Amino acid sequence: MIESMGLGGGASSYYYIPEASGKSSWCGCRMQQVSLNNHNNNNNLNLSLANSQQAFTAALDLMPGGVNSPVRAFKSVGGQPIFIHSAKGSRMWDIDANQYIDYVGSWGPAIIGHSHPKVLAALAETMQKGTSFGAPCLLENTLAQMVIAAVPSIEMVRFVNSGTEACMGALRLARAFTGKPKIIKFEGCYHGHADSLLVKAGSGVATLGLPDSPGVPKAATSDTLTAPYNHISAVENLFHHHKGDIAAVILEPVVGNSGFILPKPDFLAAIRKITEENDSLLIFDEVMTGFRLAYGGAQEYFGIVPDLTTLGKIIGGGLPVGAYGGRRNIMEMVAPAGAVYQAGTLSGSPLAMAAGIETMKIIREPGSYEYLDKITGELVNGIVEAGKRAGHPMCGGHINGMFGFFFTEGPVNNFADAKKSDAHKFARFYWGMLEEGVYFAPSQFEAGFTSLAHTPDDIQFTIAAAHKVLSNI
Amino acid sequence: MTAAAAVSGVGLTLGVSTSAVRSRSRSPLVTMAVSVDEKTNKSLTLSKSQEAFTAAKELMPGGVNSPVRAFKSVGGQPIVIDSVKGSRMRDIDGNEYIDYVGSWGPAIIGHADDQVLAALSETMKKGTSFGAPCLLENSLAEMVISAVPSIEMVRFVNSGTEACMGVLRLARAYTGNEKIIKFEGCYHGHADPFLVKAGSGVATLGLPDSPGVPKAATFETLIAPFNDFSAVEKLFEDNKGEIAAVILEPVVGNSGFIPPKPDFLSFLRKITKDNNSLLVFDEMVAPAGPMYQAGTLSGNPLAMTAGIQTLKRIKEPGTYEYLDKITGELVRGIIEAGQKAGHAICGGHISGMFGFFFTEGPVYNFADAKKSDTAKFARFYWGMLAEGVYLAPSQFEAGFTSLAHSPDDIKKTIAAAEKVFREI
Repeated sequence: MIESMGLGGGASSYYYIPEASGKSSWCGCRMQQVSLNNHNNNNNLNLSLANSQQAFTAALDLMPGGVNSPVRAFKSVGGQPIFIHSAKGSRMWDIDANQYIDYVGSWGPAIIGHSHPKVLAALAETMQKGTSFGAPCLLENTLAQMVIAAVPSIEMVRFVNSGTEACMGALRLARAFTGKPKIIKFEGCYHGHADSLLVKAGSGVATLGLPDSPGVPKAATSDTLTAPYNHISAVENLFHHHKGDIAAVILEPVVGNSGFILPKPDFLAAIRKITEENDSLLIFDEVMTGFRLAYGGAQEYFGIVPDLTTLGKIIGGGLPVGAYGGRRNIMEMVAPAGAVYQAGTLSGSPLAMAAGIETMKIIREPGSYEYLDKITGELVNGIVEAGKRAGHPMCGGHINGMFGFFFTEGPVNNFADAKKSDAHKFARFYWGMLEEGVYFAPSQFEAGFTSLAHTPDDIQFTIAAAHKVLSNI
Repeated sequence: MTAAAAVSGVGLTLGVSTSAVRSRSRSPLVTMAVSVDEKTNKSLTLSKSQEAFTAAKELMPGGVNSPVRAFKSVGGQPIVIDSVKGSRMRDIDGNEYIDYVGSWGPAIIGHADDQVLAALSETMKKGTSFGAPCLLENSLAEMVISAVPSIEMVRFVNSGTEACMGVLRLARAYTGNEKIIKFEGCYHGHADPFLVKAGSGVATLGLPDSPGVPKAATFETLIAPFNDFSAVEKLFEDNKGEIAAVILEPVVGNSGFIPPKPDFLSFLRKITKDNNSLLVFDEMVAPAGPMYQAGTLSGNPLAMTAGIQTLKRIKEPGTYEYLDKITGELVRGIIEAGQKAGHAICGGHISGMFGFFFTEGPVYNFADAKKSDTAKFARFYWGMLAEGVYLAPSQFEAGFTSLAHSPDDIKKTIAAAEKVFREI
């Protein structure tokens, strides 16, 4: 029996669990609508969210789904989204004045904490000289040098305005450089919403791509091949069946977009080897993992050097920046050095560059990653232990400042495993933690993020809250 | 003046690029690397810019993060900017310019407006990005919806490229058709289906404009010349029932400034309606559906604040009248000066957007625009730079004024143009 959650304004309050069809939850795929039972009815919540509800009701008339990015709509956890008033350090405040310890970190950028005084000071100073020139500025050189020095695969870099633009650029470049049409991506990995990358996997180990969203022509995705993450033989099969046709393999070296999923030992090395043997490019999408798993990203952490890397989030320090980079001889094909077209009015704007530069300066200070490893390890272990103690099947993990946990026995090696999670339970856990003042990503299929601003106290508080909530759900 | 001599002082990029890249347009055009006589830029010290650009070329493709910034259409090395304020730009060698690029459009109320900066200062203390809804998104959405006639619902994204991608996907989803019509010389960002060149002939199937763009992504993009009624009619005839949308810049800025002929826009409105296709005006966003599009930084509070403040200012009474007045004076002054000095030149403006071409004209479409004497434009460009006027470094870009451009700025610019026209 399906009951509505009955939250303000009669807005439908269903959440979605994905069909068992090898797609990740972030896509516009058909999903079953399931509503939460009245256990989580707003009337029972210890949180007053009246202003958020009002704002969201208004937003529904103005913007599709009331939001500017789908995951913000809370559809995976039910209820209405929370509107944020402000963020500082490890904290966020909503417009009903509730405070939360934040583990979304704006989906990654806030690795040094929200509204860091040094970043704000740099922004305040830089903006006096203008926020955008449409022409070269020295700050672009500065950030470029920092990125090149940090990221092993990058000898040359192009700044863009988002991770989506970065992946589009990298893909076009890979096709141009190799002269080949096809790409391999992995189920559950998300690389922005360019047509070729919006692909669902059908049933089976590896398959031709069918579009993930209405409005994406089959012709745009038919050259996108997909395989399950961590599945080497599926990849080998694809290279076998499409010999000489594969321009690149693109992947999140640690998955964050299906929840947090680690590569198996040797998976990345095997992909590196098979791409080299087949004259295909290896593209690490480090939009999430870049500067978060290590200053040099996943490629530094695992010691595997791809041909191209995409970056975003942290590199903008909270302003919109993306980047793609790699070997010089590949990158020099990009206009105006070469013929591969890609442009952007706001790309490399001084304000965005300033935010990125300050953020990178701070995160690369000695001890940063050790600190993130310590607190995040405590956090995840604490949560998973609490869950198991309360009798819930749970698993989870972390690398430095990135983590995740699933309501399933595990291990979770790919998206199909991730989907075994108890999404209902996650939703109850989600709202329980919200009541306790802890803000996680409103979806089981998203990684979590800590920052330098998260204190040991924050961690203790969160674990204690988890104990409480997990014994109640 | 020949266009082939190498000149040392300015450090030109040599060689002819035979493939696509020309300013921001997506049609292929042979771009000449143009040399500039030393005389025209003797008064400008650009050594710091040159140093910075030399360093930049090691770090970023072509030394820039967007192709038009590389100055390939005008020769010489790009100027590296230190700061902007109002109608002015200052480069890192301390040269000051009256700026008519306006960051390619955003700076309509002038650069670094004090009220915008104040609002940004205040907003950023509360955070620059939440990854979650904030009230400022509602505010800007309301302003956009009440301002723009076609918009009942809006989605914010991070760039024009993302906006056009979203709109294309939406039009395809909404209509169930896949083909689109775009116009030669119109630019809609760099998503694959838009990176299309016209083949020969009046209207044609799209071939990719850039390596790395699969034919599969562009073959459903049909091209017509701008302002060409019968070409559009033919496309609808030959592709009956298959066209998702017609997309265009309602006033072209990306081939230089080209206004629509009278009735062209209403003709497009009618033919799309008659054929159940959508009409998409570039820089607008169509209503939504169940299709996928996302963005981490979309709708972030800082960007929303900047937009809100800017719109507040620009919608004050008298702003568009002011822009019309000064921009009209500017363009007429430049054209008159050019003609007086014996140059073939034409141009126009609408409110704060303008352009001029070094050709007799009239310029109705990209083919007409290409008749321009680009070598002369390059000489004009550098001459004006030496006089302290910063234009778009390409013949095929519109110009932009702002509320911060004073009548004095306009007079100075016209006087500079008169001087430069006599010299080139």
